Amino acid sequence: MQPIEDNRQPFQRREWTSRSLGTRLGHHIFYGLIRFGGRRPAYFALYFVVFYYMFFRPSIRRRTKYYLHRRFQERKLPARFVDSYRMSFELGKVLVDRATVGILGSEKMKVTLYGRKKLLKLLDRRCGFVLLMSHVGSWQVALSALSFMDIPVNLLLEREQGNFDRHYFEYTGTGSPYRIIDPGGYLGGTLEMLEVLKKGEVLCVMGDRVSGSQKSFVNVEFLGEEASFPYSAFKLASAARVPIVVFFSYKNGPDSYALKISKIIRVPKNLGRSGKYFLPFVSQYIEALESYVQMHPYQFFNFYNMWEKKKDEYKRQT
Amino acid sequence: MNTNDKLKDIIIEELNLEDLTPEEIEDDAPLFGDGLGLDSLDAVELVVQVQKHFGVEIKNMEEGRFAFRSINSLGDFIEERIAA
Repeated sequence: MQPIEDNRQPFQRREWTSRSLGTRLGHHIFYGLIRFGGRRPAYFALYFVVFYYMFFRPSIRRRTKYYLHRRFQERKLPARFVDSYRMSFELGKVLVDRATVGILGSEKMKVTLYGRKKLLKLLDRRCGFVLLMSHVGSWQVALSALSFMDIPVNLLLEREQGNFDRHYFEYTGTGSPYRIIDPGGYLGGTLEMLEVLKKGEVLCVMGDRVSGSQKSFVNVEFLGEEASFPYSAFKLASAARVPIVVFFSYKNGPDSYALKISKIIRVPKNLGRSGKYFLPFVSQYIEALESYVQMHPYQFFNFYNMWEKKKDEYKRQT
Repeated sequence: MNTNDKLKDIIIEELNLEDLTPEEIEDDAPLFGDGLGLDSLDAVELVVQVQKHFGVEIKNMEEGRFAFRSINSLGDFIEERIAA
């Protein structure tokens, strides 16, 4: 895996969207199925919904191909179609599971945490850490299972208009168990993030997706081609002198998930401003992410072309 | 060298704004956005550099919001903290 270059150029357009595919009514039908029958009838309905999207909304299928064509390079039709169906179906199941946890309670989903001792050791030190997550498995089910952590947890969370999907904690109307930091806030929320880390709290961020307004990213080889990944979490960890805990979740049974602490990355202090200094650390994370997608190929949920080369990019500093 | 001049040198050197001279940085110009054009991660670097060079910690967003308005406000913030 070769780190390639550093760029600090804003993306020209938004690369991905969190807007829901379905309608508000469609979401409520699923919530009703879960409320009255549990997750099984919702899974059953999913077969038809995903079938509809695969056949009648080709743009959805197209969105899966960026990743699938790189993950399964040797595949041809009709296997590619089946892959696309499986990936979309897995996402549907994750959304149903998230709603199940929110509506019926977290006890409806068995969660096994691998690396609990490591996590408890870090928590004991009260020094704070960055929980680096990815759009894989179900990060929300993962978070719901981490309620045993007795220090404040902060979540960097952006929400678009038109996103009808509820977060698991929104079903009960009790409010978020986590403090939400808005990346659209003052200076992108960076000072808030730095503050909570310095106070010894936990900061949860996603490491695999560069948001539309994000300027700081590095290009790292992922599945055989360079893709862009943000390095802001690494910069914050360096400034606050806290470790980064790389954390993945995956569905490993009809009603169960596993959470795994993949690695702990320690970023030295005073590395400097340029992204090139953070490349080795971002690469460590991407290495772990690549191992994840080898093991769980249909649970990677980035439905956009993360490998697309940015036009007119310039190197502000390397 | 006064605090503002030292800050300008730090910004140019540590934030790699080598196309600027200290004289071109106005004391009242906003540091972020339209002014010097620094971005959110530069804010993190600036927090680190202020601590490193002056021993002054910008502890939270409120302090940062006040201090990061301009060179003047950052200079005042640092001097107040050193004097305290």
